[in-house]
Amino acid sequence: MHTSRRRLPGELVFSMLLIAFSLFMLWQAYSISKFESFTSAGSFPMFAAMVMLLSGLIAAGETVKLTPLPGAEGESAWRQFVRQMTPGMLVQFVLAIAAYMFLLERLGFVMSSYLFLVISMRLLGSRKWVLNIWVSALSLAVVYLVFKTIFSVVLPSGTLLQGLIK
Amino acid sequence: MNEALGYFFMSWVDPRLLGLIAAGTFAGIYIGAIPGLSVTMAVSILISFTFKWDINSALAVIAGIYLGGVYGGSRSSILLNIPGAPSAIATGLDGYPLAKRGEAGAAIGLTTVMSVFGGFIGILALAIAAPAVATLALKFAPRDYLMLAIWGILLVGSLSGGSLAKGIFAGAVGVLIGSVGLDPMTAEPRFTFGSLQLTAGISYVAAMIGFFGVAEVLVQLHEMHLKAVKQNVDKIIPPWHLVKKYLPLAARTSGIGVVVGALPGAGGDIAALMAYDHAKRTVKNPSSPFGEGAYEGLVAPESANNAAVPGAYIPMMTLGIPGDAVTAVIIGAMYIHGLKPGPMLMIETPHLFWFQVGALTLANCFLLVFGLTGIKIFAKIVETPKPLLLPLILMLSAVGAYAINNNPADVYWMLGFGVVGYVFKMYGFQVGPIILGMILGPLMDSSYRQAMISAEGNVGQFAGEFVTSPLSAIILAALTFTIVSQTAWWQRLRGRTSA
Repeated sequence: MHTSRRRLPGELVFSMLLIAFSLFMLWQAYSISKFESFTSAGSFPMFAAMVMLLSGLIAAGETVKLTPLPGAEGESAWRQFVRQMTPGMLVQFVLAIAAYMFLLERLGFVMSSYLFLVISMRLLGSRKWVLNIWVSALSLAVVYLVFKTIFSVVLPSGTLLQGLIK
Repeated sequence: MNEALGYFFMSWVDPRLLGLIAAGTFAGIYIGAIPGLSVTMAVSILISFTFKWDINSALAVIAGIYLGGVYGGSRSSILLNIPGAPSAIATGLDGYPLAKRGEAGAAIGLTTVMSVFGGFIGILALAIAAPAVATLALKFAPRDYLMLAIWGILLVGSLSGGSLAKGIFAGAVGVLIGSVGLDPMTAEPRFTFGSLQLTAGISYVAAMIGFFGVAEVLVQLHEMHLKAVKQNVDKIIPPWHLVKKYLPLAARTSGIGVVVGALPGAGGDIAALMAYDHAKRTVKNPSSPFGEGAYEGLVAPESANNAAVPGAYIPMMTLGIPGDAVTAVIIGAMYIHGLKPGPMLMIETPHLFWFQVGALTLANCFLLVFGLTGIKIFAKIVETPKPLLLPLILMLSAVGAYAINNNPADVYWMLGFGVVGYVFKMYGFQVGPIILGMILGPLMDSSYRQAMISAEGNVGQFAGEFVTSPLSAIILAALTFTIVSQTAWWQRLRGRTSA
């Protein structure tokens, strides 16, 4: 059931990073209790890190054998990586999520979620502002009521406007 | 026996539980059907909201969502040719051609009836097999648990078509994430890097929501251009002669579903693909050629994937080992409620087992009702544009990660795991084994150390016990076969034998 897929831009570098990470984790696992005994706190993590390293090496070998995905004519490897793995929309959306998380604590659930919904809907290509504003407001109202009443969840109230909007 | 029946019908007579199962099944159908929303994602988010509830209510709603979600995936497969869930990939192969012929209604109707049939077979198997497996499980030594856990991770990493090495790597990453914090036996810090916060470990709910929710949303950004093709839905309830005709096939594929579901780590998606393959090989005169709208191509995967749901409960309830990613999440939910799934749970709290069997049966009945109604509204809802849907999923994920401990740090962990999960997914690594590794890591660690202690730290004796005990030898053989069957050498050997 193996699929014959092409090697994506950056995949080889990622394989190398995983091997480096495995080595780092193996070192960290060794540092827990060295070779104290076969039942020490570090013994199983060392085994897991060894497995990680070995499987990482095999996976890297498989990646080397894959045929690279052809890029557009005259396109550099970096450009191809950016186009296929980190397109602008994805980067902007991740930044919007990070900003949402930052604001969640400060502005509280309602304000930050509303801002996040309206802005990210636009970012993802929904061009009708009125639709975005209404869909965000309606869905947020439903979510808020369901969480508060059925799930009794404590939602972040925000440090900046605490007491004003919960 | 009377006691068991009482617990079985508990959810049937309690209006609150009845309502929760109905709501769960209804929501599950829609969650499963909307491309971009997965059952694992929904259950992961849900457990962070239901941890304050009593365990019965939480398990009732989860059972409904799980069963409804596995079925719901078939609807968007048939109507839009976009599988709402991995378990519905095989369904679309014949379901969509049927819809193109204007037979979407008949296809959905038959799918519903066969899913419910498969569900009942699975529940029956769960009720009969689980108590027996639990009794057998009492004989399991720690080394057996160690091997079963490893087997589970290997199966989930290999059977769904990816690279075995990548599956093992992901599983090992999960084990290491699961061991962050203080060692439960010696209280030595492991991978804490001097941080006080890390001594408590990493919240696996935040990790689950990150890997299954955020990562999936980010991957979906690459598929924003996919447009749904609108379909007409007409008569839904299938004629009896059609149902009767396909019952023998459904019985066989439900059997496949139960067995595959019960294998640690393998779930409805693999069950559905294997059942489809079985139908293709055994049905001589299908209603249309396979891939061009054969009813057999709908019946087989749909009965199998719903039978796999109760099947996956078998190792979860009896061994504490998840049958698939969703049951891994359910185990997480049970831990949160202070329960430890395994043979002792079956013996000490049998009511919980019979309650779950009753809840699944009820959810299956609701599935029949909701499955055969409301298709027209449904067809509209599954077409919700992704630019509106994805931010909503993200908001739910963030609140879910926050709600579990009211800790903002968990939300950042979620985003971190989401981004890592996205890169993993893009480069062909599955995230399922990571979660399995996280859940099973502590069990594997303690099982390994107990086995080593009982062998008095003697490596020779430790290794010898894997082959001298008959039970361990059988599990070791299954484990070895799983690894060997994935090697190029084995594939060549099979090719030569079948040639």
